[in-house]
Amino acid sequence: MADLTVKLGNLILKNPVMTASGTFGYGMEYHNFFDISRLGAVVVKGIRMEVSDGNPTPRVAEVTGGMINAIGLQGPGVDKFLHDEHYMPFLRKVGATTIVNIWGKSLEEYGEVAAAMDSESDGISALEINISCPNVKEGGAAFGTDIKLAQSVVAMVRKNTKLPIITKLSPNVTNIGDFACAAVDAGSDMVSLINTLGAMAIDIETRRPKIANVCGGLSGACVKPVAIKMVYDVAKRVKVPIIGMGGIMNAADAIEFLIAGASAIAVGTANFINPMATIEIIDGINEYLDRHNIKSVSEIINSVRL
Amino acid sequence: MKFGTILKNENFKSDYYEIVFYHPEIAAAARAGQFVHVQIDEISSRMLRRPFSIHDTDIEKGTVTVVYKVVGDGTKRLSGKKVGECCDLLSALGNSYSDVAPDEYPIIIDGGYGAAATYILAKNSPVKGSFLFGARGERDVILTEKYQALNWDVKIATNDGSVGHQGLVTDLIAKVIEENPGKKFKFFACGPHPMLIALTKILMQQNLDGEISLDHVMCCGIGACFACVVKVNADNEQKWRYARSCSEGPVFNVKEVYIGD
Repeated sequence: MADLTVKLGNLILKNPVMTASGTFGYGMEYHNFFDISRLGAVVVKGIRMEVSDGNPTPRVAEVTGGMINAIGLQGPGVDKFLHDEHYMPFLRKVGATTIVNIWGKSLEEYGEVAAAMDSESDGISALEINISCPNVKEGGAAFGTDIKLAQSVVAMVRKNTKLPIITKLSPNVTNIGDFACAAVDAGSDMVSLINTLGAMAIDIETRRPKIANVCGGLSGACVKPVAIKMVYDVAKRVKVPIIGMGGIMNAADAIEFLIAGASAIAVGTANFINPMATIEIIDGINEYLDRHNIKSVSEIINSVRL
Repeated sequence: MKFGTILKNENFKSDYYEIVFYHPEIAAAARAGQFVHVQIDEISSRMLRRPFSIHDTDIEKGTVTVVYKVVGDGTKRLSGKKVGECCDLLSALGNSYSDVAPDEYPIIIDGGYGAAATYILAKNSPVKGSFLFGARGERDVILTEKYQALNWDVKIATNDGSVGHQGLVTDLIAKVIEENPGKKFKFFACGPHPMLIALTKILMQQNLDGEISLDHVMCCGIGACFACVVKVNADNEQKWRYARSCSEGPVFNVKEVYIGD
């Protein structure tokens, strides 16, 4: 049994396997399949101040090797998240290492959400700032694709919380490394990447877009090579820990991200197909390390041989 | 147990197939209206799961039957599966129809392969009721003989008039009510979205009780992704909210369903 512990700055995780925000609900659904406290961290679906309805349906469409989604960040709002038994109190009760993904429709709202989480931070290990959801018109992509706005969001969150901050980066930019550096300069303790890639699919019989929002975000196995390169690029630019994600379907995919430069990884679309994906990935990483006689997972992080 | 072994996978009419899985746990657990989420491609990264209503179960034989129509890549691939092959099955998912009470007269209204979803309900009902079935034409008239075999009163409507009444299945409601004076009616339905919304409006207008199986393009099937939402009434300014059809449904009482727009 290898040592799977990873250290992300001051945040120590029992293993490098996390869930990608938006693909794991608020943990409860998957707790029916396994003990979610076994995960490195549960990253919950994005939370803003108010209740959020999300987009009209259809919200998803399958494409070759993946899917396009435009859920639109449906969510319960801060108050319900912090106090309703289905959300944070549940995660606290089962002892899940919890990272809260936050978003807002304005700079100020990002600050308010961060402050609210900070004031009741028992059980919250970190905040992940969502500046890159491609599916909401306000907030989301607007902040993630403008470097100055991205920086001001991070600075605003930094001002309002002592919790570790992860900035989730959009791949829909010319140079993701510049955004990673900007986030770190503004006070982000680490970065996560990639969010989904802007995408579209059309039904040729009706000539209508396959999802109601017209465009959405691409995820699943097909995005992995793009994500690996971005992690590799960002690892050369920043010293802070990187959480890598994008098309991780199994342990081999996860290990590839670690080698490319990620200190931890997040599993997204795979959860929809196999609810046990994260647990199987933890076991698979351990098996790989044992097979290669590697004592600690930290030895393979950022270890690509050129 | 994850896998269900295929015991049968046969084309029984037009594009319609019946597939039988051996999976005793699901057979024992499944209730009317629930669904099974099938991983069709053995390589999980290639295709999302597909949800199918559970058509029938046999607890003694440990079997779960699904009736499906080939409509796209997933069902096409499923139709090519051979006896003896396995599929990873997640089930029994979703909520279920209420049991029919002995003092109720059940009326099932289905459109197309919606008829697959209500069969267990009819089979377990203590009262023989009416089964109203609607389809575009003869090639989509399926499963009616199975309801006939249960001694239910079967009425059919087709858009083209090739079988039964020419028109909509909801046109048949008035006649059934007329034929059964003084009964306490309870409606159960599954079918295309517009049919279900039309039915909901009729039932609400006439103050009749009913449950409909409502869903939308599904992804995780367990309530985590929020893809398959439908509008339900809510105590807020806009009077509705999105509910996950996979975990809060697929069965909703007509009183819950938002019909505002």
